[in-house]
Amino acid sequence: MSVRSRFQEDEGTPEIELSPMIDCIFILLIFFIVTTVFVEEVGLQVNKPDASSASNLNEDKERVTIEITKADKVMLDGSEIDLTALAQKVKTAIARDREIPVSITAHKDSSHGVFASVWAIATDAGAQGLSYTTTN
Amino acid sequence: MPRPTISAEKDEEMEINLSPMIDCIFILLIFFIVTTVFVEETGVEVTKPRIVTYDKLDKNSVQIAITAENKVIYGGKEIGVGGVAPQVRKDLAKGDVPINIQADANADTGLFDKVVTEAKLAGATRIAFSSQE
Repeated sequence: MSVRSRFQEDEGTPEIELSPMIDCIFILLIFFIVTTVFVEEVGLQVNKPDASSASNLNEDKERVTIEITKADKVMLDGSEIDLTALAQKVKTAIARDREIPVSITAHKDSSHGVFASVWAIATDAGAQGLSYTTTN
Repeated sequence: MPRPTISAEKDEEMEINLSPMIDCIFILLIFFIVTTVFVEETGVEVTKPRIVTYDKLDKNSVQIAITAENKVIYGGKEIGVGGVAPQVRKDLAKGDVPINIQADANADTGLFDKVVTEAKLAGATRIAFSSQE
């Protein structure tokens, strides 16, 4: 009778031992949880004119040149200007000519924060040909 | 006599149905596999500039930091301006990845420009700087 009962057990629903698989999956899961970094960076693209395209600069064409001095002062056309007024001026210039080149000339000792603000203002105003250079 | 019946049932081998749990864990696992990007973090905290407009940057970018003391950091190590080009070239060999420069608001524009120039010379086409949200 005991043999028969064993046979009957075998014919019942077969069970797969899942515990080792769960162990493996858990280890994988923990590895991926630990290594996942959610890098959420925001910012802006920058572009510098290539050396080869420098000759394409049309000197006759009107352009907006914003200067950042060593003391982090923002100058437009030789006079100091604050950032809100600068945004207005750049917007009016772009309203006149959509493809007006905007260039930022920053002193190499000026702080990155001011440069970033000016770059963002020009991007926000919709400047197409935006570029920057640094001076000594 | 309900009590003895329950205790008699408990004496038998109890089996927990594990399949729903495995389903859950599989879903979690697949989620983490899909979202994982192996980005080398800079490991330094910088005060990013606050600006009027910004875009979401690519999660898969190469992260280079410039601290307020004008140090260039990659992957927790100071590499200096000279170390930027070899590092960017190494990362670009895996594919065209964007470069993200996390520059401190008090860092010099001159140094930022040097890092951008080095990255550009190394062949990077997409270069961005980080800002605060």
